[in-house]
Amino acid sequence: MSSARDELSQFDISNEEKDKLVGEVIRCILFKTTQNNGCPIKREELTQIVTKKSYRQKNLPAFVINEAKSKLSSIFGYELRELQRSRPSSATQKTRVGSSQQSGADAKSYVIISQLPADVYKKYVENDETSHVTGFTFVVLGIIHLAGGKITEDNLWHHLRRLGLGENEDKLALEALVQQRYLQKDKVSGPEGYTLFYEFAERALDEAVNRRIKEYVMEIVQKDASPRDAD
Amino acid sequence: MPASTSLSSKHHTLIQALLSRGPLKESEFRSIFHKVTGKSPDHQVFNDYISDINDELSYVQLELRKCLNQYDGKAYYGVVNTVSDEHSKLGTKYSVPQIALYKGILEAIVQDTAGEGSISNIDALNIRLENQVLSGVDSQSQDNSTEIPSALKNFSMSQKDKTLEEFVHDQWLCSISDGRIGLGVRSFLDLRSWFHDNEVPTCQVCNEAAVKVKRVCPGCGTQWRLVAKREAAEEQEADDQDGPSENTSQPDPSARKRLRTSKGVDRNTQESDSTITSSTLSGSRRLTRSSARRAAAA
Repeated sequence: MSSARDELSQFDISNEEKDKLVGEVIRCILFKTTQNNGCPIKREELTQIVTKKSYRQKNLPAFVINEAKSKLSSIFGYELRELQRSRPSSATQKTRVGSSQQSGADAKSYVIISQLPADVYKKYVENDETSHVTGFTFVVLGIIHLAGGKITEDNLWHHLRRLGLGENEDKLALEALVQQRYLQKDKVSGPEGYTLFYEFAERALDEAVNRRIKEYVMEIVQKDASPRDAD
Repeated sequence: MPASTSLSSKHHTLIQALLSRGPLKESEFRSIFHKVTGKSPDHQVFNDYISDINDELSYVQLELRKCLNQYDGKAYYGVVNTVSDEHSKLGTKYSVPQIALYKGILEAIVQDTAGEGSISNIDALNIRLENQVLSGVDSQSQDNSTEIPSALKNFSMSQKDKTLEEFVHDQWLCSISDGRIGLGVRSFLDLRSWFHDNEVPTCQVCNEAAVKVKRVCPGCGTQWRLVAKREAAEEQEADDQDGPSENTSQPDPSARKRLRTSKGVDRNTQESDSTITSSTLSGSRRLTRSSARRAAAA
């Protein structure tokens, strides 16, 4: 515990002040997660909680976020997963004004993930009303994974239609995956005009998620021993 | 350094269950407790768990709370926000007009002189929302002729209807059989101190805010009596509370008979509140059942 105290003393703020900042960061994360429907929270939204209070110590934001991470785990059993924002797709590329020196750190974003074992989560925590959304997410990610991590819009819907989904009814659900940073859209110009591609964004590229997509897809492919019709 | 009780994954399961699935009936929550801990949900062990959880949750101004659904008499457990700050104010998926509708319904239900604790669907849809937004806004000037936000003007009947459905689904309101609408479990969980601030009469025995007061107190079954003596006591309490506030209304006898508007500044910053209600309610009008009755009789 003494090392934590040493760490805190370098910032010249009291324990109470520190606790207040950490508490605020955690509340920000929890409420934003609800409000944004699971979209990752940008690091700058958290650091500004510290900086806007005129705390000028350089490493204080990082220290506070670290403490928040620790508390989220000890109080709630949530992991604060850090995601690295992928390069913006050509469709959304804008000039980032005045942020060149920060681009490395600020490209980070956060999501909270339950640390409970999967069977416990499924039995006591999972909300049955939203499990179909999880299923949809998995299906889309699985399809794109099999396509090599990138797929045209047309091709994606071709496969989704085979599962009974439709562009009219389910477009919003797909958009949600883009907002939640599982996917990003990419407009590529070609001889016949623009083609829209969907590819993995940071949430799907996150090592733990990516590994599980591969595992599940392998499971399904291996179970399916009988030959399939070609399209 | 004082060591706080470390929460185990069993505690985490209980917390996450409530956060993910919303408020749970007591029987369901106790059942989860039993399955997760292997312990019987009898008094002491169960209470210790809740108390340990709340010690930790207080770090972030949250609380695991039990409340009573006054329509079916069942107890529910939920995790509620205890302090209104900028994060909880934003932490809602509802829009400004939707929150105005909720506020309007809440006030109408609490004001209901018959003590039914509910209003008809039609009445809910016809509530005038402009007042809600005006009284809730932190206005810089005393000028009351603020523009009605266009979002409010464009809030159609069918949108309101859909919003009601959403509130019922999310348990902020509940649907009572014959086309009536009442407060949902989340409202009971979150609004305890709002009820107090707005002088919703409470049962003298168990202190539950009495929203639905037909005949017996839903909290403890005591025969309910709303007598003049209690009303007078409430008025006294209301005057005392008015002291340090920055209400524009004067604390004189005639003011008690009017519905008071609290303009501008929040009366206190430490009000308990929920994500939906937060600051939108803290500046709202003070309502008492007795003042409403008087206004109706006038």
